[in-house]
Amino acid sequence: MIYALLVLAPPVSGQASRHALTFARTVIARGHTLHRVFFLDAGTLNSAAGIVLPQDEANPVQPWSALARQHAVELVICVTSALRYGMLDAEEARRHDRQAPTIDTSFTISGLGDLVDACAQADRVVTFGG
Amino acid sequence: MILHTLNASPSSAAFQDCLSLLHAKDALVLLGDGVYAAVAGTHAYEALQGSPARVHVLLSDALLAGVNPNVQGIVPIDMEGLVSLTENFPRQQAWY
Repeated sequence: MIYALLVLAPPVSGQASRHALTFARTVIARGHTLHRVFFLDAGTLNSAAGIVLPQDEANPVQPWSALARQHAVELVICVTSALRYGMLDAEEARRHDRQAPTIDTSFTISGLGDLVDACAQADRVVTFGG
Repeated sequence: MILHTLNASPSSAAFQDCLSLLHAKDALVLLGDGVYAAVAGTHAYEALQGSPARVHVLLSDALLAGVNPNVQGIVPIDMEGLVSLTENFPRQQAWY
């Protein structure tokens, strides 16, 4: 089956984004295709390149990045939410006159059309909020 | 035939709304703060016992919260179990 995920939860509070990551890995391990993970609202914070956590806590961005690299999973963050949360790629940083990009390069910024497209292409869409 | 996932406290409006929309052939997975609805003897647990849906609890979250996952009427599952449920249920409703 083809899966798509919608992640609405931030990486550093609650467990929903960790659920999403574990779910994503399990989906792939069971032989399914994970087409796209769409991050909306506070979920866009999962793309933050500048997160620094204590040594005994796992960085939330690297596992997503590895998933994208190893399994060709598209990581897309909603442009409206991204700007609201200060999540900028190089192009948006330039466009809005900010000093530097703030998201990991594994993520791309796009519109809700990519969520609609993912829903159309996937056999299953699973949402993680909280 | 909907898979409901509840990541919200039993005292939340999300829990009440979820409860009111559970039907036979539906399944519910308690995760995150939702696992507190699996505490036997609470109003939330009793309410779920009266629900026609099959109720599951995410084992890792229950253990993390100190909630006994082995209670009557609730089936503990791991992430494999959750993915397996999504294979069988075409649609999911996330409550949070």
